[in-house]
Amino acid sequence: MSDATAPPAASYLAHHFESLEKQTHAARLGMWLFLATEVLLFTALFAAYSVYRYLFAADFAEASRHLQTWIGLVNTIVLVTSSFTVALGLDRATKGDGKGARAFFLLSVAMGALFLFFKYVEYAHHFHTGELPGRYYTGDLGGPGVPMFFVLYFLITGLHGIHVIVGMTVLSVIGLRAGKGAYSSAYHVPVELAGLYWHLVDIIWIFVFPLIYLI
Amino acid sequence: MADPGAVARNEQEHVSHVARYAVVWAALLAFTILTWALSRLHIGGGWGLAVALVIAATKGTLVVLFFMHLWDQRGANRIVILTSLVFVALLIGLTLSDNATRFKLANPPGSEGALPAGPTDYGGPPAVPPRGRTVEN
Repeated sequence: MSDATAPPAASYLAHHFESLEKQTHAARLGMWLFLATEVLLFTALFAAYSVYRYLFAADFAEASRHLQTWIGLVNTIVLVTSSFTVALGLDRATKGDGKGARAFFLLSVAMGALFLFFKYVEYAHHFHTGELPGRYYTGDLGGPGVPMFFVLYFLITGLHGIHVIVGMTVLSVIGLRAGKGAYSSAYHVPVELAGLYWHLVDIIWIFVFPLIYLI
Repeated sequence: MADPGAVARNEQEHVSHVARYAVVWAALLAFTILTWALSRLHIGGGWGLAVALVIAATKGTLVVLFFMHLWDQRGANRIVILTSLVFVALLIGLTLSDNATRFKLANPPGSEGALPAGPTDYGGPPAVPPRGRTVEN
């Protein structure tokens, strides 16, 4: 797609901004502020995790050893790679190639779906073996900290899973719009911000992987 | 960083970041395998956790700086993310040091130095009658 068919840059400018550059910086700053609140949302769970891991270190280690580490490892590789393809999609968008951006974003969405598929396999296994949170725990391990591990396991991976679904939705919408030529090399802020959200989801998982799977 | 607008213009001048993205991706994959391999060694004394967190922080920094372009962006965005990290440290550090410095018996049953766990204690909030099981009257 060439810039000739794209709307002129001036049409992207909202009336309360002086220039497109200022509008872009404001949009980025707003996104970073939102991402900061997301970080703190997950931090609350990580704080709870730290406390209970401190109190029940041995039980947490034992419960973690019962997880399928290979799923965590594969999912980490999948998410990291999907972040890479999102970055490549942004690179296409900066060059005015909306169709290329769409291809890379939809590829990333497919990897998000693969991630969720592995998560489903894992959750199905937990439900089958009774590795459920808190008082619903009916698994084999005896320690008092084990059910608490699964409380935090489901809260953290569950909230992260919701974020993966939201991220896939955002990438799909923005990717399809980019494919229709909604953005240009001069203006592709939505592509950039959608990418930022996906990268944050990736970063959260980068911390979840060692904390949950590699104790 | 002398001219904060330079980067926005650079991006519009079609500077290609593909090579940089590829290097970061390769580094992220290498660190992922490294942290997994090191966890197999079962390093004792809390060092395993420290190493895992350092590797995770390194990976996170790579993503933030290069995939999320904080390296190229202006100061305000950096301050936002650094501020959130300060609050991460406060939230986790203060909560953890509360539990770590308590009179041990005040910690949940079953944890080290506290009361032994009863049959229904799971280290969570205090006794609620279990659901789905018959409670004797």
